[in-house]
Amino acid sequence: MENIITKYCIIQNHQVIIDGKTKFKDNDNLEYGKLMKSIYKYYQIKYPKYFKMDNLCKIAFLGSEILIQDKDNIKNIDPAKVGVILQNTHSTIDTDTKYVHTIKDKSNYFPSPAVFVYTLPNVMIGEICIRHKFQGENACFITKDFNPDFITEHVNELLDEDKMDACITGYTDYIDGKYKAMMFLVEKNKENRKDNISFKPEIIKNLIK
Amino acid sequence: MNTIYTLSDNIITSLGFSSKENFDALKKGVSGIKETSDPKITQIPLNVSRVDSDRLNNEFCQIGNSADYTRLEQLMILSIHDALKQTDIDASSDETIFILSSTKGNVDLLEKNNLSFGKDRIHLWKLGEIVRIFFKSPITPVIISNACVSGLTAITTGAQLLRKGKYKNAIVCGGDIISEFTPSGFQSFKAISPQPCKPFDANRDGITLGEGAGTIILSNEEKHVKEKNPIIFRGGANTNDANHISGPSRTGDGLYYAIRNALADANKTDKNIDYISGHGTATPYNDEMESKAIAWAELEHVPVNSLKAYWGHTLGAAGIIESIAGIYSIKQNCLIKTLGYSEHGVSIPLNIISEYKETKIKNFLKTASGFGGSNAAAYFSEVNID
Repeated sequence: MENIITKYCIIQNHQVIIDGKTKFKDNDNLEYGKLMKSIYKYYQIKYPKYFKMDNLCKIAFLGSEILIQDKDNIKNIDPAKVGVILQNTHSTIDTDTKYVHTIKDKSNYFPSPAVFVYTLPNVMIGEICIRHKFQGENACFITKDFNPDFITEHVNELLDEDKMDACITGYTDYIDGKYKAMMFLVEKNKENRKDNISFKPEIIKNLIK
Repeated sequence: MNTIYTLSDNIITSLGFSSKENFDALKKGVSGIKETSDPKITQIPLNVSRVDSDRLNNEFCQIGNSADYTRLEQLMILSIHDALKQTDIDASSDETIFILSSTKGNVDLLEKNNLSFGKDRIHLWKLGEIVRIFFKSPITPVIISNACVSGLTAITTGAQLLRKGKYKNAIVCGGDIISEFTPSGFQSFKAISPQPCKPFDANRDGITLGEGAGTIILSNEEKHVKEKNPIIFRGGANTNDANHISGPSRTGDGLYYAIRNALADANKTDKNIDYISGHGTATPYNDEMESKAIAWAELEHVPVNSLKAYWGHTLGAAGIIESIAGIYSIKQNCLIKTLGYSEHGVSIPLNIISEYKETKIKNFLKTASGFGGSNAAAYFSEVNID
């Protein structure tokens, strides 16, 4: 049976859209950090580690929290069978740039481990996994633009081969104050229902229009 | 499902510009790690494994204009070019896909604020474009940035694309360079050893970084295979230990799951593994965690080594070049000693390879672990066994 999207979340243009409906809107044109914090508060997330995260991790983490907040069935799956597979465009250039500033001036040289650790894009996947103890398939793919064709094929194969029972997947990006998250909770289809949304590229392209 | 053949390969590190040159050095126990005080990469004396820049320039000039390519691009293109020379697959076909892995790509451009290559050149997707255009591939490459397991993730992803027949060939190349960025970061973590690293040893005190590139060409078409008993990719897996973004799990559970899942993917149910090519970074935590994962998988009897004291931790290249070394261990029926290891230093009595040994090798398991909690494993063997 086809794998299905059981929830999806888009964070862009100062809005949080869940399953096609705008659920949160920032009317104050907040800058990125404040915007993310207000989303964090709006969804009543309580996770102090959030405040240590870099800009890319923040949006990926919030997207994943929103996706699975009310999904108790995911918490009951063997954590080794929950995967996190994301695409991203600008890697950690934002944090890389901040880190470079700490080593540029040799008279004021202070490389920071707290910054350096966020100079790998898959750390956002690690943050999501740590939060929920997910230990399944993991990969961070870099693409010029979100590529639903590749990610659906990859994720569907891992689900079809029983390597995962569920997956948090999609696209997250942050650079120079610009941000986007398009995240999907994908599960194996257990019953045929009319309102099931198949995890297929043409459907995703429609959902994110 | 299709059989995934390994067709050809290349390794470029401090130890040479071909797999053969590199493996010959490993067999002799030669290390490419040297101390440097080059101010372009370090503020304090640093042990590091670097590729010979003059030779890189000379070799690259024979296939392209070196002024048009960054150091990392030159390494990766040269590596792919050498691997392609040894096989008859067509890199410009729409049946061949490039899979590239790198942790930091052209990060040296960012440090130097070098815009002479254009502002996009710092991005990993652009690295993919540069490689794709050089080899006239019509297919958008897959780029993986999964910390220190990137190379193994690239191999498993390439194999997955070939198994179902979506593509016929995958050119899997990983690379990373040494600039000031990575050494200073690991130094800030106090994770770099003041001496060449000592994997699994009682006196290990950190990693040694290295740069390089490695390429392995995979195919699901037997017609390209030249050997009688070729080596095939049998299975692989990627997991997360969900412990800490910069520290491995104390129990080794994530790496154990990767090993378990890779062997399940290979339909391997017995414990008859001839060799484990470990990650063995020589940090106190990593090697201890690895030993626990190997014991958990009931593989502590299997000869295991780490190659990090030969060419350092080459990050995005590591999973690929160390898999290639494993393939040569099968082809030449020998086990490479763990350079830097003298006194056992992990709590599990692993079967660490401490001397070069010639013995029949038919298969091996490659493992890797990295920041972000990532773990990966892959299992290779000759086609005509188990």
